[in-house]
Amino acid sequence: MRKLGYITAKDLLVVAKDKGAWMTLLVTPLVVIVVVSFALSPVYKGGSLHATLLVTNHDAGGMGKQLTASLAARPNITIQAASDRESETLKQGGNSFGLALVIPKDFSARVQAGQSTQLQVYEDPNSTTSAPFLKGMIDGAVNRFSAVEVAAKVAVAEAVKQNQRADAAAVAGDATAAASAQMSNQPIQAKEQPASGARQLNTFDIETPGFAVMFLLFGVMIGAEGLLEERDKGTLGRLLVAPVSKASIIGGKLVAQFIVSIIQITLLFAVGHFVFSMDIGNTLAGLALMLVATAFTATSFGILLAALTKTRRQASSIGILAILLMSALGGSWWPLDIVPAFMRKLGHLSMNAWALDGIKGIIIQGQGFSDILLPAGVLFIYGSVCFLIGLKMFKLRGP
Amino acid sequence: MIVQADSLVKKYGGAAAVDGVSFSIEKGQIFGLLGPNGAGKTTTISILSTYLKPTAGEATIDGLSVRRQAGKVREIIGFVPQEIALYPTLTALQNLKFYGKMYGLGGAGLERRCREVLELVELWQRRHDNIEQFSGGMKRRINLGAGLLHSPRFLLLDEPTVGVDPQSREHIFDTIFKIRDNGATILYTSHYMEEVELLCDHIAIMDRGKVIASGTLRELLKMLGEGGVIELEVAPPGCPSGLETEIASQQGVTGVRREDNKVFVSSSNSARSLPPVMKVLESAGCEVGSLELYAPSLEKLFIQLTGKELRE
Ligand SMILES: Nc1ncnc2c1ncn2[C@@H]1O[C@H](COP(=O)(O)OP(=O)(O)OP(=O)(O)O)[C@@H](O)[C@H]1O
Ligand SMILES: [Mg+2]
Repeated sequence: MRKLGYITAKDLLVVAKDKGAWMTLLVTPLVVIVVVSFALSPVYKGGSLHATLLVTNHDAGGMGKQLTASLAARPNITIQAASDRESETLKQGGNSFGLALVIPKDFSARVQAGQSTQLQVYEDPNSTTSAPFLKGMIDGAVNRFSAVEVAAKVAVAEAVKQNQRADAAAVAGDATAAASAQMSNQPIQAKEQPASGARQLNTFDIETPGFAVMFLLFGVMIGAEGLLEERDKGTLGRLLVAPVSKASIIGGKLVAQFIVSIIQITLLFAVGHFVFSMDIGNTLAGLALMLVATAFTATSFGILLAALTKTRRQASSIGILAILLMSALGGSWWPLDIVPAFMRKLGHLSMNAWALDGIKGIIIQGQGFSDILLPAGVLFIYGSVCFLIGLKMFKLRGP
Repeated sequence: MIVQADSLVKKYGGAAAVDGVSFSIEKGQIFGLLGPNGAGKTTTISILSTYLKPTAGEATIDGLSVRRQAGKVREIIGFVPQEIALYPTLTALQNLKFYGKMYGLGGAGLERRCREVLELVELWQRRHDNIEQFSGGMKRRINLGAGLLHSPRFLLLDEPTVGVDPQSREHIFDTIFKIRDNGATILYTSHYMEEVELLCDHIAIMDRGKVIASGTLRELLKMLGEGGVIELEVAPPGCPSGLETEIASQQGVTGVRREDNKVFVSSSNSARSLPPVMKVLESAGCEVGSLELYAPSLEKLFIQLTGKELRE
């Protein structure tokens, strides 16, 4: 165990002294983030996250109002009631509003009965404003209602299965009530920002996470190359004939890579925040959890890459292909809100998508700690699978 | 007896890199494994160092099996690989400290050993320089030093002088003698016969995965004939078979070998054996085209045994 620590310390020393590595770990990503952020700032302009959302509420029950209120509670949305016609015109384009939401008549009834229901969101096709991000917020709020719905459905199913004589509808009602109560404690309130007006939309909020995750992967690729180089150059062989366990050798190297990844992504976010005023959301614990989960998954990707390739050259050519593919699909280059649904699904095969769901959820949508448990959990599972396969397949003694 | 290799075999796919190698090394010996590129020296040393598991056969070091007691073997051996297995961006001292810790050294003991080893390889002054800034010979010396920190009882050196200038080489030899004088047993591989002639108490010559001759330098040279070798080239149709026994019975002759149209005669005294040997050939009607006399050497022995040069 002590030897594991020495191996970690040695690897950290090697990285610390490697100027080329720091170029890839920090300097290059910062340059890219700055260039892209400034270049794209007119695109995201309209230019603030503050926007007016048209809402047409046909709901006979109370839940439509509840949904509207929860949206209104967000600091950067003003709700404006609208008629059907107004919403329709937006659908045809040429309206100054980015989005419109239509709540159907039976919304409350169906939710309480545990049936599925549909909200209609119209998006101005010509809008160059921050529509995708507003849509993300609505999705967030609506998702919470879906959760309520699911709770109700599950409760009904349970009651039926256990063959109790309970009134299914009553159970569903109870569950819904409980879930609603739960929901009202959710971070909608927590997201309250100083009422000093809407925050300007900062392109660094949008660009930093994506590129940070991509360059995190490039960082672990360098680590994977280093591991293969150690095998080629015989330094790994030297350890294998010394009284050191294999677990210490591989563990020591992985811990070092994990620490480097944590330092890298934390520094990138720190520069984004302190130098370029990137928002870091309202849950520092949530953000920290996301960064740890992301660094862990990236490290696991590194060992998998080293295991699947034979030489340093191969690791870098296959690594670059895999990283660029995952970054494009997974939303590192553009938000996944703007791609077709099936591409969004496909994108979630990459670790980038899950990492960005959580990180952007916190930074852009103002999500709370409990919201990011899903992406963080998926990342840990994703990372664990890569880790186990990589560990099983990596040959310390070479091919 | 400290090291024993018994019918070691290592196969890659169908091909055997090491094909039934046996030898034993006594305490305090410098044992040389001599052979051309691809002979199987590194593979043999890798098995003894526990890096590779043999396909068949067994080796023991101080009674410990390299197969079943690899962990214990690792504590008493020091291994210096053929390649420079150091971290190029770390300093000499950082490298040595790291490897020292891997052998369980620490604190003042580690500091002291690093200093001793650096002084032994005469690079103490350069301890704070990165390995990448060293010359090839200096890198070799640190590479050697990294295997000495824990004062191993059995030291395995795989071609530790490749690519170094004569001065550095002499330096490395001095170091090896010092280590031996301190009681260590050493296995040394090389494809330079002068090196093993100079260094080793006992030599095994390897070719194509097999030990083709072994013994002390004297014993090996004796195989060629202490007085040297007479090499005769006989014009076609060559030397008739059956003539070897007659040649062998001449004065001083210790061995005869025929190969195509060449005849090699080992002798305890070439000058004295030459006239009667010539006479035998003449009376058999053989025409001697060329003749060469040479003193015994490992190089000649290798050619004698394999029909090819040691160095390609
Ligand atoms: N990992 C491997 N896979 C397949 N063949 C191998 C492997 N390692 C060695 N060999 C083969 O085994 C034979 C012996 O190799 P080895 O490295 O032991 O030779 P050597 O005597 O050390 O040569 P050199 O003087 O060039 O270092 C060679 O023919 C080599 O090609
Ligand atoms: Mg070799």
